[in-house]
Amino acid sequence: MKLLKVVGISKNFGSLAALKDVSIHVESNEIVGLIGPNGSGKSTLLHTICGRTIATSGSVLLSGKELVNATPMVRAKSGMAIKFQLARIYVEKTVSENIMLSLQSKDSIWSLIRSASSKKFIPKIEELISEFQLSDYANTKAKFLSHGQQQWLEIAMAMASNPSILLLDEPTAGMSPKERADTAKLIKRASDKCGVLIVEHDLDFIKDLCDRITVLHYGSVISSGTPKEIENDPKVKEVYLTRV
Amino acid sequence: MKRRMRIGIAVVCAVPILSPLLFLSGNDYLIQAVTRIFIYGILVLSVEMCWGQTGIFTFGQAAFFGFGGYFAGYMAKNENITDLGVLLLIALVAGVIAGTLIALFLFSGKRVGELYVALVTLAISYVCEKLANSWTFVGSGNGIPGIPFPTIFGKEISSSIALFFIAFGLFAVSMIICILIIDSQLGLAINAVRDDEERAEFFGYNRSLIQIIIFIFSAVLASIAGALFSLSEGFISPSSLGLTLSTSTVLWVVLGGKGTFYGPMIALAILESVDVEMQKALPSLWRILVGLMLLLTMIFLPKGLMSLGEKSRNKREQKKTT
Repeated sequence: MKLLKVVGISKNFGSLAALKDVSIHVESNEIVGLIGPNGSGKSTLLHTICGRTIATSGSVLLSGKELVNATPMVRAKSGMAIKFQLARIYVEKTVSENIMLSLQSKDSIWSLIRSASSKKFIPKIEELISEFQLSDYANTKAKFLSHGQQQWLEIAMAMASNPSILLLDEPTAGMSPKERADTAKLIKRASDKCGVLIVEHDLDFIKDLCDRITVLHYGSVISSGTPKEIENDPKVKEVYLTRV
Repeated sequence: MKRRMRIGIAVVCAVPILSPLLFLSGNDYLIQAVTRIFIYGILVLSVEMCWGQTGIFTFGQAAFFGFGGYFAGYMAKNENITDLGVLLLIALVAGVIAGTLIALFLFSGKRVGELYVALVTLAISYVCEKLANSWTFVGSGNGIPGIPFPTIFGKEISSSIALFFIAFGLFAVSMIICILIIDSQLGLAINAVRDDEERAEFFGYNRSLIQIIIFIFSAVLASIAGALFSLSEGFISPSSLGLTLSTSTVLWVVLGGKGTFYGPMIALAILESVDVEMQKALPSLWRILVGLMLLLTMIFLPKGLMSLGEKSRNKREQKKTT
């Protein structure tokens, strides 16, 4: 059974069809890239999968569970985690608190009032901040982190919830080459624990990282395959690669 | 123990130690004024929990204050229920019922904007004031005067010092409960809802449930404060439900700094302490000066007076990070 199965998703904004019958899937421990020119519908598709936008038609199945009309909360509880294009972390909270926020998100209100799991999560927080190279900033407010560190923190927060599928919207936007290389390693490591779907502009970054790539153009899938197949696909070259 | 709790405990310990100085003055009016600050302090805590900590901009918190005041006052005067514990319980139930109805209306569906919540709560406060003004059952414009003093185990509590300690005790308990909530894991969650409620939902938080719980909790605090007000002052009037008190509460929170916890209470203590004297000294100017203060704070210190200290703390932390 496929981990994430998106079948025949369409999304209309008034008369504009942003997505037209799009189908993709992600297996466990697989990294799938989603590329396309600006306005091709990549972010809309990601938002439809995570519940920020509700699809006009189609189906979003996670481990066989239908989530197309589910709220973001239900999707998160079902094992979906997302990193947005602009890091959406809690800048007034420390790095540790940000990760704690993600770890405790599935606790009951009663458990939160009693702070029942605060001690239990400490080793996990330490493990994640060390993995994401944030050990020196554990008690630093997130607003004082660099841009790249904020992006890592958001990925760490997403991974803290122990997701089955990780959705990443341009995780390397605005990063230095070294930070991009480090991010690639972090994503590769994350894929040992879950499936990963990445929206990216940078084909060089994505082709070394992904097992498969899907190319969107004007809201439709025009090609799907291994990075090599995508690079050699004349349709992709015409609508995407020549423009980049 | 976190800094907030340490300060809270220091305040709780300092008041009984310093209060004899107040009692030695023998000025009953002054003791009543400080008692009123503690009562309004509970009301301010309720707004701070709602708006400052959870991001629910409640502009009509006086409505709950008035509910508690009217329920307790009516029961004490007309039903001869004067036991303080029972009257506070009545106020608590009134707060739970009113808070639940409004919270379900506001937060059980999709996310609503801060302005929408502010306007709905403001409208509720306005309607309640108008209703109390015209409803003879609750005394119309005169409100309920001559509310008897509360009793504890049948003994009447009529001295200003006893009422001072009751108000202080309830304020201290409310403050410590609020600090325990904010410093708990739930506190982290309610701050997450305040700072980015959509993001909190994407982490799997039940945003709606968190907002409903905190709104009801703050309604209960306000209602208990109202009950205490009517019992210690001996009257309750429509103005205790309405726009003037609602606006004053928001003013204290904005001036002190919403989300700073102690800021709003410091602003309340300062403004209430000087209010009567300033109204005597500058009868026509004082209100204008308060408005001007609010305006200047919002322009130059949008996070309130307490953010002055925060700015230097942030600078230190930034330096350390870089």
